[in-house]
Amino acid sequence: MRKLTGLVFMAILASISVVRAEPTGTFRQAHEVGSGNASDLDPISKGRVFQITEKIMSRLVRPSMEGTPSPDLAVSWSANSDATVWTFKLRSGVKFHDGKPFTSEDAVYSLQRVIDPKLDSPAKSTLKGVTKIEAIDPLTLSLTLAAPKADLPLVLTDYRLRMIPAGSGDTIKSTGIGTGPFKVEKFDPQGVTVLTANMDYWEGPPAVARMEIIGIPDAQARLQALLGGQLDMEPGISRQQSALIQRNPKLKLQEVPTGNWRGIVLRTDVKPFDDVRVRKAIRMAVDRKAMVGLVAAGAGFIGCDTPVGPKDQYRLEEDVATMCPQDIKGAKALLAEAGYPDGIDFDLYVSTVESVWPTIAEAFQQQVAAAGIRVKIVQVPSDGYWSQVWLKKDATMTRWNERPADSLFNEVYRTGASWNESHQSDPKFDAMLDAAGKELDFAKRKDMYAAIQRYLWENTGTYVVYHATVFVGLSARVKDLDAVENFSIRWNRVRVD
Amino acid sequence: MVRLILRRLGLGLITVALVTGIIFVAIEMLPGDACVAYLERDAVGQRLENCREQLGLNRPAIQRYGLWVGAAIRGDLGVSASGGKDIATLVGDRFRNTLLLALCAIVAGVPLSLFLGVVTALNRDKSADLVVSSIAILAMTIPEFVTATVLIFVFSIWLEWVPGIVMTSAGAPVAAFFPEIVLPTAALTLVMAAHILRTVRSSVIEVMASDYVQMATLKGVPYWQIIFRHVLPNALLPAINVVALTIAWLLGGVVVIEKVFNYPGLGRLMIDAISDRDIPVVQAIALILATVYVAVNLGADVLTLLLNPRLRTLQMRGTR
Repeated sequence: MRKLTGLVFMAILASISVVRAEPTGTFRQAHEVGSGNASDLDPISKGRVFQITEKIMSRLVRPSMEGTPSPDLAVSWSANSDATVWTFKLRSGVKFHDGKPFTSEDAVYSLQRVIDPKLDSPAKSTLKGVTKIEAIDPLTLSLTLAAPKADLPLVLTDYRLRMIPAGSGDTIKSTGIGTGPFKVEKFDPQGVTVLTANMDYWEGPPAVARMEIIGIPDAQARLQALLGGQLDMEPGISRQQSALIQRNPKLKLQEVPTGNWRGIVLRTDVKPFDDVRVRKAIRMAVDRKAMVGLVAAGAGFIGCDTPVGPKDQYRLEEDVATMCPQDIKGAKALLAEAGYPDGIDFDLYVSTVESVWPTIAEAFQQQVAAAGIRVKIVQVPSDGYWSQVWLKKDATMTRWNERPADSLFNEVYRTGASWNESHQSDPKFDAMLDAAGKELDFAKRKDMYAAIQRYLWENTGTYVVYHATVFVGLSARVKDLDAVENFSIRWNRVRVD
Repeated sequence: MVRLILRRLGLGLITVALVTGIIFVAIEMLPGDACVAYLERDAVGQRLENCREQLGLNRPAIQRYGLWVGAAIRGDLGVSASGGKDIATLVGDRFRNTLLLALCAIVAGVPLSLFLGVVTALNRDKSADLVVSSIAILAMTIPEFVTATVLIFVFSIWLEWVPGIVMTSAGAPVAAFFPEIVLPTAALTLVMAAHILRTVRSSVIEVMASDYVQMATLKGVPYWQIIFRHVLPNALLPAINVVALTIAWLLGGVVVIEKVFNYPGLGRLMIDAISDRDIPVVQAIALILATVYVAVNLGADVLTLLLNPRLRTLQMRGTR
């Protein structure tokens, strides 16, 4: 019997080694050179080319396919009873691309850089409240927080919080040394960046031997390159273009729901929006389903003004049709109750920073008109929109990229937060947030976040229009590319035939 | 003669000076500045102040203009707002690439269009003329981004003969741009050749109808001798100016072509710099393009003057 088990075991081992064949082929992807000449490989700088850093550097914790925190360079973690001190056990035997072993010293250094006020990283806010980062022993790391945070592991899945060798801060911009499945052979942000397989990657060698990350700023040019077979992947496909790809036998299409959302913000500290009834009436008057059909051809998820993404574990699972259907009568009644029986007038500021904003604004204007809400659309230049208009005018358009629920609520809705766009100042909401933030029991925490989202539907000044679904165009030779949000993709598994 | 050329040169310098002023004022009038554009949502408080301090945006506009012009005369174009790289090196490679593209288009387009222009003129109103002239008018009227997209669709996506998008980086050696440069060259050549062809054609037709050609014909000079000795030298003179204008257009007007094909030239750098509000880079490129435009036109004028004695004396009389 033991012999048999041994044989079976060996057979399994053999089959695994067949699967783990030599890396082969080249995978080509574009990036938009968003930072121009300031593009670099420092994962926490403003100019980071994330299409490269995500393949060459690892996080301590990464999102699983279901969006939950799962081990990467940290194998396990635990918190003290009030979730203010967290201990992370690190993976042993992991090596950087230059051959040096990865230890807690590197982890401390990488995270310390994020909160370093001198570096002033855009990722700094993710680790807000972290007061102490220390190495307990070479494979144990401890983080101390000013306030309890039950979702710290989730926070560490942020796409920028990647591990680099201790002391490499000055050189990382060009060397890009990490522990990821690929290593940098040549970095050229305006041209072709070449990555090669890291044979020492802790999960084993990746399936692809070489990756080329090519700088193409123009979206149209990227699409042409995909159609012409010069690229293997292009994520920014619009709904209209998706048909082009579906028709082409050499290409295939992935539909990926994301947490990226667009919205209309009403400032809750100015008349008439300081009255919660007015805010709610406006949000009741929109037809959410029709809206997403009009502006995104249905490629989006709708909810009742919850900013939490559709794939997030904390997303409120409520039916839009029963919880927040279009209710013109109810909206009129609420407005009358608030002292506006003849309806209200306001200006909505719109620019083309986001290409669908003007369409959303026009559809919104038409939909709410029936409730006596007269919206005047004010077109402003996209230059200076974030500095001159957003946060300042009474009603503006907004957009946000995917964030964990906890970060969203704290960055966008908490009293006094610098990007609190609706100027919400609500001690009750803040207290609910504090309570949920320190609850270590997942089921209870989920309930508490659900309550927060229901509270937002009743009170918020932010109309969340929809969470966008993105279309990813792939060449037919690409296999095993996870159909998930970009920062959860396991790049080491991707194959090309 | 020398005085005339000097006068032209002076006028050219004044044009360039005016252009610098216009560029500066136009950019000043846009809302926001380089820092606001670069920092986006982070453009508040200390971070914004630091950025403005670094780029010297806190100084008054007139002072900044003076400093910029002063440095530009010394050949120092400053540093880019995003990334803080030296503009001279940044622009250097791109300028070479744009020249390369223009050169390819000229090598392919000028002889072709001169040849076709003469052929259509000599076969005026015959089927060859009709076909070529119609194609030329079509090539002139269709905007170059449409031509470019059609070329990509046919030769890259459909037939798969040549790559559609240029992926070579700006600093790569010239040889690396082949065969990716084929389609952008073709798109440029189409538009450029059409313009030259039309001018050459009408010019040749005009000369063919002139008294001295009729005289030569009546005298019994062989047909080809008339064409080569009498018609072409006279007919091609006006073409010089058109060719010069087209070359200047090639350098400045390839913006759209470079964008569509992702070609790393001056035009694309200009577009990217405008969207980044990288004002030092925009100013530098505009200055370079304006200078080239003026220089090429000046060169064409001088060449015409040298080749056409009549024009020279007429001009001299006019200036007195």
